[in-house]
Amino acid sequence: MEKTSSNLLWHGVLLAVLLSFGYSIVLASQSIEYNWRWERVVPYLVNMEPKSAVAPFDGVAKVSADGLSVVVTSDNGEPDRAYQEFSHLIVGDGDLVFEGDVIVTREDWRMGPIMNGLVVTLKISIVSLFFAVIIGLFVGLARISSNPLLKHLSLLYVEIVRGTPLLVQIFIFYFFIGTVLGLDRFTAGAAALSIFAAAYVAEIIRSGIQSIPAGQMEAARSLGMNYSKAMIHIILPQAFKRTLPPMAGQFINLIKDSSLVSVISITDLTKAGREVVSGTFAPFEVWFTVALLYLVLTGTLSWMVKLLEKRLATSD
Amino acid sequence: MIKEYQGNDMIVATQIDKFYGNGCHALKAVSAIVHRAEVVVVIGPSGSGKSTFLRTLNQLETISSGSISIDGTDMYDKDTDINKLREEVGMVFQGFNLFPHMSVLENVMLAPLKVSKRNRQEVESHARQLLCKVGLETRIDNYPSQLSGGQMQRVAIARALAMKPNIMLFDEPTSALDPEMVGEVLDVMKGLAEDGMTMVVVTHEMGFAREVADRVLFMEEGQLLVDDTPTTFFDNPPHSRLAEFLSQVL
Ligand SMILES: Nc1ncnc2c1ncn2[C@@H]1O[C@H](COP(=O)(O)OP(=O)(O)O)[C@@H](O)[C@H]1O
Ligand SMILES: [Mg+2]
Repeated sequence: MEKTSSNLLWHGVLLAVLLSFGYSIVLASQSIEYNWRWERVVPYLVNMEPKSAVAPFDGVAKVSADGLSVVVTSDNGEPDRAYQEFSHLIVGDGDLVFEGDVIVTREDWRMGPIMNGLVVTLKISIVSLFFAVIIGLFVGLARISSNPLLKHLSLLYVEIVRGTPLLVQIFIFYFFIGTVLGLDRFTAGAAALSIFAAAYVAEIIRSGIQSIPAGQMEAARSLGMNYSKAMIHIILPQAFKRTLPPMAGQFINLIKDSSLVSVISITDLTKAGREVVSGTFAPFEVWFTVALLYLVLTGTLSWMVKLLEKRLATSD
Repeated sequence: MIKEYQGNDMIVATQIDKFYGNGCHALKAVSAIVHRAEVVVVIGPSGSGKSTFLRTLNQLETISSGSISIDGTDMYDKDTDINKLREEVGMVFQGFNLFPHMSVLENVMLAPLKVSKRNRQEVESHARQLLCKVGLETRIDNYPSQLSGGQMQRVAIARALAMKPNIMLFDEPTSALDPEMVGEVLDVMKGLAEDGMTMVVVTHEMGFAREVADRVLFMEEGQLLVDDTPTTFFDNPPHSRLAEFLSQVL
């Protein structure tokens, strides 16, 4: 009883803190006389301008009795053109129309530049995540290998990647490796991100494997399993479960780090934000929107990982 | 593989030495023979090399010199497939080492399915039969974390038996158990011995050694000091170090 009432108190305090934080943002923007114009951002998210269909030739329009279709008959014997599934009829029955006249319009929406940027960010994150996990798995296994070549090579890789800034790696990938191999921007950016994240994934996988008691491998080997069977059936499934939380953190970092590829002119969410700011004069709104969209991506990811963790937790 | 070997010597260890990477000399010129259907118990103070000796018998530890042959196959012959050889030699560990992410039935079925590639139905009915034999037919769908220590160890025994081994190695199978659970595991092991399984058992259970063993070995500081029948071993210790050890533990 006492516990719940003090909990309630703290939740109240939390609410007060958040409210005063929000109010201070309002005060701050008032103090610099900033006019919030959120509506300016909307067209850059979704473009709601209706699409119009125009007459391809001169002719006569004929509207059907129910008003659901229009047929334009050509003056010059070209085949008739029919229009259906529109939202606004512009011409009337029997109207003369000339080439280029609007016949009907349709409600439509297209993705604005910010949404396009979001898709690019999502795409480059998924591609990089996929390769980071594959490369990371092999590098992680090489790290614990007894073969000195594999062991030292993988250690060198991890140290180099973790010891240099991602921004510099992206430049190297784009300007050097990309030029040598003829990679396009997207491939170069995705490759840089994959290689970068894979080094961290490798360390997560290595420590995950090493956290499994040696007795598990011994039991598997004593049953006649070879090293790879023991890894696949016994060690990796257990290690996978333990690596999920740090792995989720790494994946979230990957999504955020992907904003750096905007420096090689990939129009991801961040670059789209920069472009839109220069067109809208609403920098605060745009950057808040961009931040929110990143938060949606990372939030969804950590939610999915939580679900997976719950599903896997059944056996213990 | 020399499958048709019909000799009576299931394990022949000759002059084996083991140095660990840190220079520890864990086995010193140990020689021993285990015959078919024989139960050999290994006794000795902690750190005397009992586990090391047992683990060399399925090559969880490699030896530094000497030779070991299992059922007529030289373990260190370059043509010997160690994974094949390990199928013949089951092992039960002090810490059970069950696979925590699998149910009891899956634990028992995994190796026959993935290693021996036996038919699934046959493997499952064999697994159920073994779990019945160790008295766990009602625990088939449980996970290891839901079992008591004694139950876990019995699953581990069933898991090893599922590979249809000719030899079973036990490394202190009851040392991690609460006293009231020791009996149920020892009973299963006695049953195995009666079925004619060749067994090497490292244990501190002197009662088991006296009752079930055909021979008892005494190890100290990496040396095998005594190899004799239980009666002589316990009633008439042929080595002063053994007499001293027995007087401490009995
Ligand atoms: N992996 C290892 N590395 C180095 N030394 C070891 C290792 N395992 C065991 N030893 C050493 O070898 C000796 C024998 O150990 P062990 O065979 O475990 O004895 P027991 O099972 O009789 O208690 C001990 O001195 C122990 O410290
Ligand atoms: Mg031991």
